[in-house]
Amino acid sequence: MQEALIERIESVARRTAVITLRRTELPLLPWEPGAHIDLSLPNWLTRQYSLCGSPTDPDRYRIAVRHDPLSRGGSEYVNLFLRPGRRVRISRPRNNFPLDGARGYLFIAGGIGITAILPMMRAVADRPGTAATLVYIGRTEEAMPFVGEIRDTLADRARVIATERDGRPDLAELACGLPADTSVYCCGPAGMLDACGAAFPPERLHLERFRRAEKTFAPDTPFEVVCARSGDRVTVAPGETILDALARAGRPLASGCREGVCASCEVAVVEGVPDHRDDIGAPAGRMYPCVSRSVSARLVIDV
Amino acid sequence: MSTTELRYRRLTPDTVRAMIGSPDPMAKAKKLDRIDAYFHRFIAHSPFVALATADGTGLPDCSPRGDYPGFVKVLDERTLALPDRPGNKLADSFHNLAENDGVGLLFLVPGVREVLRVNGHAYPSDDPDVLARMQVEGKAPALALIIEVAEAYFHCGRALIRSRLWEPESRALADEMPSVGEVAVGQLGLAVEPALIDRAVQDNYHTLY
Repeated sequence: MQEALIERIESVARRTAVITLRRTELPLLPWEPGAHIDLSLPNWLTRQYSLCGSPTDPDRYRIAVRHDPLSRGGSEYVNLFLRPGRRVRISRPRNNFPLDGARGYLFIAGGIGITAILPMMRAVADRPGTAATLVYIGRTEEAMPFVGEIRDTLADRARVIATERDGRPDLAELACGLPADTSVYCCGPAGMLDACGAAFPPERLHLERFRRAEKTFAPDTPFEVVCARSGDRVTVAPGETILDALARAGRPLASGCREGVCASCEVAVVEGVPDHRDDIGAPAGRMYPCVSRSVSARLVIDV
Repeated sequence: MSTTELRYRRLTPDTVRAMIGSPDPMAKAKKLDRIDAYFHRFIAHSPFVALATADGTGLPDCSPRGDYPGFVKVLDERTLALPDRPGNKLADSFHNLAENDGVGLLFLVPGVREVLRVNGHAYPSDDPDVLARMQVEGKAPALALIIEVAEAYFHCGRALIRSRLWEPESRALADEMPSVGEVAVGQLGLAVEPALIDRAVQDNYHTLY
């Protein structure tokens, strides 16, 4: 957990605010392009936002937040009620979307998805021997943050596509012309991610979601969770999450989105086979107990 | 009122008016017919609202509603939406609204002495765009109450100052109250340990959404 001060709030595009967070006593932790932080808001909600400033600046983080018309209270709060001068709690940066060391990159950003993509593009744009292209898609330029900045710094390596003016880009064509050893990174609304999923080979494609994908799973079955360190045992009923079952047993774990997107609740699996239901893609031997369940009747976790 | 003979002296409205004086013109002016930016900020920070409804005969009922601050959504300056979270399934409010669509809302923000009052007309809805905004932990409520605002105003803080509602020492009053289990055993004449009921109630409270 870190603390920061809301230094500045600026409107940068229609319904989009850029928030500058300044360090308080301690320097802010370093981060890699693709990383996000959890921001704890005064209305008790915690939301994940991609860092879009400079990864080497220990004094400031920058995030951009679009006011979602269907906001559950996070983006609405940031855009309408958050005020400069307030101290806020933020998490350490976490990266579920790291650069994979390919020789070429195709970045596809949809709307506010540019926040995750921009530092990645900047990091590799001037790397010798690396080819990088950014395709930035939005409805109109007024609704797309950082367009001016992108044109100034990236020039012809960035294509800005306003669909109302230019129509939708042909993803299949982009996929056909994709050079070997090129990875595709895509962050944007669900519809765009689905289209990218259909157009690009899965082994080269990396997706970052705003919200959990709609997926269907086999019906829940009950299973037992054993806490390796404390020795607690608890049965997780159908419809109940591991987090809820542990909280009921008096062993609450830290969590963030509780939707399998943010990775705050990650735990190590000691024994048993998890039924992964998150959108992050758990590293080997780890799982997210906010949404994931168990295939085996017994699951031992490192808590 | 059904009582034919009142036990206490009943005053006429004119007598009452003469006793309390005329209203402050400011008090009238502060009533708005919509949710402005100040009211919106108040609602966005309020985790608790008392919802008053009345049935067709005029018999009123007041029900507590609470969640994270801002759980009541301001859809536009004339419209609010209140989620219907799992409760006791008595649905008194919905029953009343079917007969009489008038509602009175009283919003509280912990630590703030003034309260926000909003009166209007309401109906239940399952509009997907409204319910989507009420998702908590991936779960949306099945129903929401749509409130069309007729009037909204801040109510002065005297009641909360006198009641010392936000002073931490006031919480000592809870020590003098019986537990839910003790009340249930007493009122229903049950032959069980009150602690057993208390534990069951506590377990039940874990399912909030």
